[in-house]
Amino acid sequence: MESLSLLMHGFTVALEPMNIMWVTIGGVLGTIIGMLPGLGPATGVAVLLPLTFTMGPVAALITMGGVYYGAMFGGSRASILINTPGDGAAVAATFDGYPMTLKGKAEAALAISAIASFIGGIIATVIMVFVSMPVARFAIKFGPAEYFMLFVFALAATASMTEGNRVKGFISMTLGLMIATVGIDGQSGVKRFTLGILELQSGIDFLIVIIAVYALGEVFKSFKNIAEGKKKVQKNFGKIWISGKEWKRSVWPILRSSPLGFFIGALPGAGGTMAALMAYNNEKQMSKHPEEFGKGAIEGVAAPEAANNAASVGAMIPMLTLGIPGSGTTAVMMGALLMLGLQPGPLLFQQQSTIIWGLIASMFIGNIILAVVNIPLAGVLVRVLSVPPRILYPIVLGLSFVGAYAISYSVMDFYLLILFGIIGFIMSLVDIPATPMILAVIVGNNMEQSFRRAYKIADGDMGIFLSSSISIVLFALAIISILYPVVKSIIIKNKAGKRTAS
Amino acid sequence: MSISLLTGLITFIIGMSYTLAAVHLPEASVGRAHEPKLFPLALGALMIILSISLISQELIKKGQKEKSNYEKVVFKFDTHIKNIVLTVLNALVYSFLFAKAGYVISTFLFTGLELLLFSGTKKWKSCALIAISFSLVIYILFNKLLGVYLPMTPFIWF
Repeated sequence: MESLSLLMHGFTVALEPMNIMWVTIGGVLGTIIGMLPGLGPATGVAVLLPLTFTMGPVAALITMGGVYYGAMFGGSRASILINTPGDGAAVAATFDGYPMTLKGKAEAALAISAIASFIGGIIATVIMVFVSMPVARFAIKFGPAEYFMLFVFALAATASMTEGNRVKGFISMTLGLMIATVGIDGQSGVKRFTLGILELQSGIDFLIVIIAVYALGEVFKSFKNIAEGKKKVQKNFGKIWISGKEWKRSVWPILRSSPLGFFIGALPGAGGTMAALMAYNNEKQMSKHPEEFGKGAIEGVAAPEAANNAASVGAMIPMLTLGIPGSGTTAVMMGALLMLGLQPGPLLFQQQSTIIWGLIASMFIGNIILAVVNIPLAGVLVRVLSVPPRILYPIVLGLSFVGAYAISYSVMDFYLLILFGIIGFIMSLVDIPATPMILAVIVGNNMEQSFRRAYKIADGDMGIFLSSSISIVLFALAIISILYPVVKSIIIKNKAGKRTAS
Repeated sequence: MSISLLTGLITFIIGMSYTLAAVHLPEASVGRAHEPKLFPLALGALMIILSISLISQELIKKGQKEKSNYEKVVFKFDTHIKNIVLTVLNALVYSFLFAKAGYVISTFLFTGLELLLFSGTKKWKSCALIAISFSLVIYILFNKLLGVYLPMTPFIWF
């Protein structure tokens, strides 16, 4: 198999001592950041981004990969111990993880979450080895019109999957696309929306928007929660491991949830949170004793943990093979790739196979290292949770400014950083989700370019966007992803209506 | 007025002004003249449609449950907002000083003030200590180890 020989080659890259060191450093830092309440993998990668600027592309990607799944491992520690999820994907770990802690079974909860994360990550990486090449090969057939439709589908799916008001999801998306149009137009040289400011001619760097929304915005939000007091963290643990009986209960949920998580993660817009919640609900429905769920059932920790780690691997598929990030974190990683001069997409697999397969191989190694770090050292690492936020948040602020400066050595970016930090905060006040905007800012330019290229090829005929079967399918998928939630809510409403009537 | 209604109005204004600006974009001298405007115009139109649908959603909702638990916009100038405003001001001063005073000094001031803001003035000693160690560690890490050169600090040897 071609994939396997490429993977072997990837291992020779990933097993270089320097790269092992980077994935370990990335993983540990990611675990620590992931643990901190409010700071998820996207913020983690965004804040640690400047560390990778001087690395080669392989080392940079491997480090960021380590931060990413490290944060996924870490996110659930805080859920289990203090009932405060580090990020959305770790929410499901609070349902049964925290009750387990209350029952004095924190050790088992911490152990199973690390074991499940490990198995989920490994299974998903195995699937990735076999899936990524065919997807990339298929995507090579895409012309600009198909690409445009793919962007439409990905953005529509992301926006319509937002919780709460879907119109707000689409508003967020449109806002992001608008931000991406600022600057000199690549094809005609026309200055657009630069307001006469010289620095805006090169456009608004999406990394600035990302750091602003995920780091600054989080700090602004935290001012509200900081007064709410802190829960005590359990610091002394027995042996962090599980019993044979607990393992027996968890093994099938883990094996079932991993592939599920992978495929949900690979869908644009879905991602870790949804994967974890779906896995949790699945297990609850399949369980012989659903009444234990929510009161400290160990499979209620195992299933979502396996699913969200698998999802974090799955989310890399559309990012690497199509150049379309499926989640906030992969969006940040894609930003970093572009920064390194690599254009994610099918050609990346042909031209830079060492980088890609080095990354995939390092996921295996990273997962092993993280399991080792997270099980025996969990007791030491959770001490981070006792770092008070009053120290933490000023440091996050300091780091985000350094990060912004390192992108283009321009203080002008600071003003944009502050501006978008405020915008991000206001958006959270009025319940506009940030993720669709972030995705749109990143893909906006490519989206417009493929639109314009197709438009030129067809000599101004819009029919080109529906001229091939691939683009028709993608268009249909976009429509379905917009309509499905609407139809679903109508059905639910009707059912509820009937119930109250009867 | 509910938050969503206000959001709808603001996004409507954004959509309108963006569309107007898009109409007045300069024309391309090569290729089709209207091409650079095409995508922005579509975005502007989309934003207007979305904001109108958000507004009408809210008005329908309002009609349905008049006076019942209807969320109102409450503007409270509490400490939360005050701290954000102070942080923004602090950040603006930081941006201004960054290149002039150099990384270490400006960052010491910025993080120091932020720490004070979060912890209160009683703990100024530990705040100062954390701020100075943070700025020095980052400066050395970036300049010496990572090769990301931060603005030099006048009168300091490195």
